[in-house]
Amino acid sequence: MKSKFVFFSIIILLLFSNKILADDKALAGADFEYGQHLSGECVTCHNSTGLGQGIPKITGMKTAVFIKKILAYKTKEKDNAVMQMVADRLGEVEINSLALYLSKTK
Amino acid sequence: MAKITRRTFVGVMAASTTALSMPSIAFGALPRVVVIGGGAGGATAAKYIAKDSKGAVDVTLVEASKRYYTCFFSNLYLGDFRNYGSIGHNYYGLAVNHGVNMVHEWASSVNSAEKKVYLGSGATVSYDKLVISPGIDLKFNSVNGYSPEAQSIMPHAWKSGTQVQLLKNQVKGMKKGGTFVMVPPPNPYRCPPGPYERISMIAHQFKKTNPTAKIVVLDPKNKFSKQGLFMEGWQKHYPGMIEWISADTHGGIKKINTSTMEFETDLDTFKADAASVIPAQQAGRIAMNAGVNKGDWCPIVPASMQSQADENIYVLGDASIAKSMPKSGFSANSQAKVAANHIRGSLTGSKVFAPRFANTCWSLVATNDGIKVGANYDAKPDKINKTSGFISKTGEDSNLRKATYEESIGWYSGITSDMFS
Repeated sequence: MKSKFVFFSIIILLLFSNKILADDKALAGADFEYGQHLSGECVTCHNSTGLGQGIPKITGMKTAVFIKKILAYKTKEKDNAVMQMVADRLGEVEINSLALYLSKTK
Repeated sequence: MAKITRRTFVGVMAASTTALSMPSIAFGALPRVVVIGGGAGGATAAKYIAKDSKGAVDVTLVEASKRYYTCFFSNLYLGDFRNYGSIGHNYYGLAVNHGVNMVHEWASSVNSAEKKVYLGSGATVSYDKLVISPGIDLKFNSVNGYSPEAQSIMPHAWKSGTQVQLLKNQVKGMKKGGTFVMVPPPNPYRCPPGPYERISMIAHQFKKTNPTAKIVVLDPKNKFSKQGLFMEGWQKHYPGMIEWISADTHGGIKKINTSTMEFETDLDTFKADAASVIPAQQAGRIAMNAGVNKGDWCPIVPASMQSQADENIYVLGDASIAKSMPKSGFSANSQAKVAANHIRGSLTGSKVFAPRFANTCWSLVATNDGIKVGANYDAKPDKINKTSGFISKTGEDSNLRKATYEESIGWYSGITSDMFS
């Protein structure tokens, strides 16, 4: 019984650490402080209190969701002139840093 | 020796940390930033310096008004899309959430050699770094016959507050089938599409309650911001109501008479039943007093928004020469974040990131008919350089125009929250 528990614990830990590694890899070059600085550009429109109408809340967004959305604007799959322009000058490090910061901000 | 538990150990540590940090507090060694002007530039700069320095910088915001009415969206108040209260904001958030020291007084002068700001009461505030974000002053004599006395007869309403309320009353009270004359300002001025959004909102009012009224626009320019979009919207929503006359066509406004309500031009003399005159503009007076202007506006270092005349003074927003950025609340907010990052870096050694600027201006032409123009900018040694941009297109689908209007409401909520909370 005990060995079974240890076995499953190890499996879960391995899965979890793989997830962490995968996230770290996805967020190459991410810097929390840089993300916070860059987010100043976002909160001019995206209400930091989440009370905005017409413009969605982005704080607390999961990193994968944020990255997917920004890339869709960057490739112009998603249609919004302001967001396409914002995404246009964000490189990988900027996007990852923003994703990291926003995901950890309420 | 008393047994040291975990709790008492933490207490001792806290006490010694306090003791260590006491001298700097006792001797007032915190670096001091004074910000003059609590609008989109100044309020944002004060907040970001205070918030991000987490108490390591002492920030004082000098702003005469306790309640600030935004210029942006004042046109929507004219058109009954917003109530007056909704464009007013206070500074509790800056004081309570971020520890900004609010001084509700006029800044009367700056002694840059002694790094002091003199207040209307006679008191002084010292600074290590000074941010000047005073907005605009009006050059009343740029229109022959216009004056501070005339602003109650033909409101400029180009600083928000009571002037905008007055203008709205005059628009609503204008006689049926009367003529409203509007004089936009010459370049450069605060909010390039603003006069034309104002014309749209006045037309919107007339359409509802005074549909035979006319609007004559005597422009000192031959073209204007979002011209094709506004012209298309006026034709669509207010056909035959608005006559825009370019400078080349009317040959210049020679004189206005506020008693007879007449506007003399080479083309004709126009008689108004109500009017709005927006004169030429210049940087707010305190910028001139601080000696950071060159002519009407203040040259800055693009990478930091520092004055070219004094490295300890930063000039933000409308008062600055931030070519190629337009004079807008969005621009001022963007510039404030660049300056705040630079100021904090120079005072506390925090990281200074590469400057990034952006602007978007939304305008409302009619109900659910929003348009927008925007651009990204970076800092070149000699100017703030436009790197990319967009503008709404004529003939756009009505759903897109509605979404653009709704986006502008979201932006207003966002930027005012960013400035004041």
